[in-house]
Order: sequence, then structure tokens, then C-alpha cells
Amino acid sequence: MQQKITHCLICERSLQFTFGWKELFKRELPKMICESCEKKFQRIETQEEEGTVSLFHYNETMKDFLHRYKFLHDILLAHVFNQVLQQHLKHEKSIIVPIPMHVDSLKKRTFAHVDELLKAAHIPFEHHLIKITGEQQSLKSRQERLQTPQLFEIIEHSKIRNKNILLIDDIYTTGTTIQHAKRALKEAGAMEVRAFTLIHG
Amino acid sequence: MNKKFRSLPTTRRYKGLLVEPKIRNFFTGRIWLRRDTPFPQEKINTYIQHHYFEVLPAVLDQPIRQCRRCLNTNSRKFVSFHCAKCGEICHYCRYCITMGRMCSCDELLLWKNEHPQKTPQSHTFHWQGQLTKNQARAAQELTRSILQKNNHLIHAVCGAGKTEVLFPAVYEALQLGKRVCIATPRTDVVLELFPRFQQVFPKTCIHAYYGNAPQQQGFAQLVLATTHQLYRFENAFDVMIVDEADAFPYTMDEALQQAVIKVKKKEAPTAYVTATPSTTLLTRKTKEQWGYSFIARRFHGQPLPIPTFQALWNYEKTFQKGQIPIKLRNWLQQKLTNNEPFLIFFPTIDLMEKAIPLFQQIDASIAAVHAEDADRKEKVVELRNEQRKGLLTTTILERGITIKNVQVAVVGAESSIFTASALIQISGRVGRNKDFPNGDIVFFHHGITAEMDLAKKRMLDFNRQLQ
Ligand SMILES: [Zn+2]
Ligand SMILES: [Zn+2]
Ligand SMILES: [Zn+2]
Repeated sequence: MQQKITHCLICERSLQFTFGWKELFKRELPKMICESCEKKFQRIETQEEEGTVSLFHYNETMKDFLHRYKFLHDILLAHVFNQVLQQHLKHEKSIIVPIPMHVDSLKKRTFAHVDELLKAAHIPFEHHLIKITGEQQSLKSRQERLQTPQLFEIIEHSKIRNKNILLIDDIYTTGTTIQHAKRALKEAGAMEVRAFTLIHG
Repeated sequence: MNKKFRSLPTTRRYKGLLVEPKIRNFFTGRIWLRRDTPFPQEKINTYIQHHYFEVLPAVLDQPIRQCRRCLNTNSRKFVSFHCAKCGEICHYCRYCITMGRMCSCDELLLWKNEHPQKTPQSHTFHWQGQLTKNQARAAQELTRSILQKNNHLIHAVCGAGKTEVLFPAVYEALQLGKRVCIATPRTDVVLELFPRFQQVFPKTCIHAYYGNAPQQQGFAQLVLATTHQLYRFENAFDVMIVDEADAFPYTMDEALQQAVIKVKKKEAPTAYVTATPSTTLLTRKTKEQWGYSFIARRFHGQPLPIPTFQALWNYEKTFQKGQIPIKLRNWLQQKLTNNEPFLIFFPTIDLMEKAIPLFQQIDASIAAVHAEDADRKEKVVELRNEQRKGLLTTTILERGITIKNVQVAVVGAESSIFTASALIQISGRVGRNKDFPNGDIVFFHHGITAEMDLAKKRMLDFNRQLQ
């Protein structure tokens, strides 16, 4: 990022710095939002989906965040969850694979929102999937979603054969996206495929 | 960095292109994101080919980085990123992002032609009210300044009835075919002014712009807008009126001035209306010889209720312990016994949220409001309708609201958020109704600040002018 963040990315209140102790010694990423904004996000206590871990509930604050990040395209907001994502993913042994965007939607949004979340958290990742349809899952009926033949293609089979993989997405809503990606990776010979999302919708 | 903007084939201007009124009405005086207009892209492209639009980059890089829409140059407010659309490093402005993000590879449209007033709109003036002597004088002075294209400052006590003062000058300007803008920092104020102006000028096409306002038809000769929405206009207005100019934090003065200069035509006069002019404004008034009107008298002629100071030592700790400080509690009891509506101002949402359950234990109808409260308007209406005894509030209710016989307390009046101007506005809520021209205004404090003293002094000054 270009410069030091001195004000809360969400409410613009000036951030109180503790002289960077933690940042210096524990190598933690700098805080980007104030405490009162942080409190408004609601953590998930018990996981609801098998094989998928999610961190936050989709409450009003989160709705507002996603709106500003994904639809107003404020890429700077990728840093809001830098610390918590880093904590959760820094010791991950599997290959971290973000759910990719379709190339047309990527051009429209100008950035890949899942990639940016990971970059802000300093988590290395690899792309092994290509999204082959540009249609939005949420616009379809359940029937249509289940019948959709395949949403993803594998870039290079040899790179994932017998590998463990952790898929990353921003939000888990119907689970279709994750299911499709898991299936594609398994069929290409991946060993274990788990998933992680920031939000559970 | 060099951005390549697609240069369109230059067709000779075909004089016969019939400009659709819809397009002209929409774009006159506007500066708009090219890929996000309410018209089909092909249509916009045709008008561009016929030179009706100037196409501008959304973000300028030279001589310094600047947002072409809001003119922001604060580098802290720009974000650089690798843009998947153009494949280069793009920059966008966060200052005006709520109006749609624009980055370096986006383009803005600026309508080049003046609006041809072939058939001037006709205007009527429907107002049964009567101006007080003071209002009438100020109205006359304002009208004169505007006709002479001179800037003007109306310095009026809270409750002077300043909106009425604007009516004659606005009517005069509209009749001369001038386009008038009334800008104010707060959406609430736009929403309050809109129906009043619609009533007074029933034949005039008036648009109101604020966040998420619906799309409005026709060419508006009178525009009411939040100052934020001004960023979507450029070189548009013959007369600018900035209402509640003091509602800005001091640091915003410059941004506001810049916005005003951008949206008005070069020669257009600007009038500022405020109860608490900043020093900058007063200095400019003197130096640039603006017109000036001063109204010390409230429309009902009674003096301003003057605040009293009461020490409320360590009130934060008392709230922490789950108690209402005793003096405040007594004040509250008194208002409840007298059955008088009240507003209690708090310096922070956090403290207010700690306090609200304690107040609700005493009376369940008491509620708290703040800026992001979706039910703010309803709660104020309920207070007005006597369905609620009182409200706790942040500074969001410091202006624009009128409640008959309201009693006001400020908790933590020493906090930096309570500037003299904020305290004057808050005190100005009291005694606005002609049947209840008095009322209680108490500054509960943990130490008296210069701002508190200044606020009180200014109010006493207003009252002294009455004699
Ligand atoms: Zn914040
Ligand atoms: Zn801007
Ligand atoms: Zn770009």
C-alpha cells in the first residue's frame, strides 16, 4: 500500500497508535479500523458448514462493508480484515487458492476482491482455477444452480495432483460456488479440499 | 504516467442534430461519469461526436493529482492500485467515492452548451406570511446584493426565520431567468426546505439533491442540494446561496469554498446564511466588501434564552458506574414533572449508549438518536407528538429541528466537539415558538471552556442588540 493509514478506513476517526510495539516485535500488520468499528462486526462462534470455516456473520455492518468494498469498489477496504485473516491463515499448510472472478467481471470491478483480501493480509496464494461462466449464481434459482454443468476449469492438473488445498472466498451464501470448485479440484486429483470464507451469509 | 484516452473520430458538427430536451435538461451544468449516465451509451457517444460534451479524465495527474469531480488534492484521500480494467496503475479519490468511484481510466462528461431558455419558465410566488421589519430589511439587502452580483452575508440569530428572508431574492432571480442553488451541509435541512420552496414557488421546477435522492425530471431552475452533491455540478448557477455555512468543521472551509466556486458561474454572486459566521467568513465579508444583513431579533421578537453553566464533575465515571449524575437527574425529574419535552446532548455515541438504559429505567419512552440512526426522523416526530418525553442525542440534532417548548441540556459541554458555534445552535433550539419563547438551556460540564464562554457572550450580544 502507498502510505501509512492514520484514520479508520470505515469511519474516518483518527486511529490511536500504540507506538507500533506489536507491529515491531510480533510482526503484526497495522490496525486499519478503530475499536468501535471493529466491535460492530460479529464473529461466528460455531461453524455451520462441514468442511468450510467462516469468520463473520453477515450483519448490517458487514453488509455495508461489502457494499463499499465490492460495489463501490473501494479497494482500500481490503485492509479492514488484514490482522484477523493473517492470524487465521499464516500457519496454513495447504495451498491457498482464491475463488477467481470471471475475466469480464474482473474488468468491470477493476480488482479481484478475494485476492486483495489475501494480499492485504500478506498471505501467499496460487491461482489454479479459471471461472468459465460470467453469470452470477445469486441471480439463479436453486434448480438452475444445481444443474449448472461446471463453473470452473483447472489451469494445470499436474500442479494440484495429490495436493491439499484450502479454497478462499469472501462470502458463503448457497455453497454452490465452493461445491463446484471443490468438485473440479477433486476431479483433477487434489487430495483434500477444504474451504474458508470471511463471511457466512 | 501516461493515460491514453480514446480519441474519438472528429466528425464535423452536424447542425441538424436535434438535441433531446431530456439530455439537455439532465446535463446542463452537470459534470458526470461517462459510463454511468441514465442514457444509452451509443446516444452519449453521438453527442460526444457532435461536440456537445467535453470529455475529461476523472483524475488529473498534472500539476498535482486532483480529482476532477470534487477537486480534492489531499494525497491521503487518493488510493493507487493495479487496475484490471486498463492494466495500469490507477488512482481514485475516496473523498467523493459515495457518488460512484472514478479512477484514472474513467472519463467525465461536461455539457458544453448553455441551456437555451427559449421559453422561459414562468414563476409564481405563493406566500401568505408576513416578514417582520428585520426580515424585510434583510430580504431587501440580499436582493440588492444579488442583483448587483455582489456577495452577501446574512448573520441571523437562531429562530430569526431566515428561510423566509430568502424568498423575495430567490423569486426576483428566478424571474430574471437565473438558475439558483441553495446548498446546505445536511440532508435533513434539504428535506425540510424542499416542501417549503415547492409551496412558495408552485410553478417552478425545483430539484432536491442529497444521497440516494430519486431521479428528477425537467430542467430545474432552482436546485436545493447538500454541499456534497455540489460536486456533480460545474459552472451551473447564476446565484449561490449557502445555508448553515457554519455547520462545517473549520478545516472544511476551504473545500466548501472550492466547491462553491466550481459550481457557480464566474460572475455569479454567493450569499452565506448563518447564525455563527466563522472568522474566515467575517474577514472575507469586510475585505471583499460584501453586502451584510444582521438580524438579532427572533421572528417573535423575544430575546434568546441564555445558557446557565452547571458543574457535573466526573460525569463519565458516574455513568460508568451505572448512575445518572445527581444534578442531571434532578433536571430530568423536573422536566418530567412539568411534562416538558427535552433534548439532552452527548459528546460521543459511546457515552450516550452507556447512558440510555439508565434514562429508560426512569421513563421508557426516552430514546437515543445519532447520525446513523435510521429511525431518527420518526423519533423526532414522536417527541414532537408527545409520544416520547425526551431524546438523548449527539450533535446531529443541533440544527434544523423545532420542537415546541423544548428544554435542552448539554452533557460534557467542555468536550471539543461542542464548539461555540455548535453550542449556539444547540441553545437556538430553545424558545422558538411564539407561545413558549423561554426555556431552559443548561451546559453541564467538567470545567468551563473558552468555547462555552464565547457561545454565551455571542448570545448576550444578540440580546443586547434588541434594546
Ligand atoms: Zn471506525
Ligand atoms: Zn473526488
Ligand atoms: Zn484503470
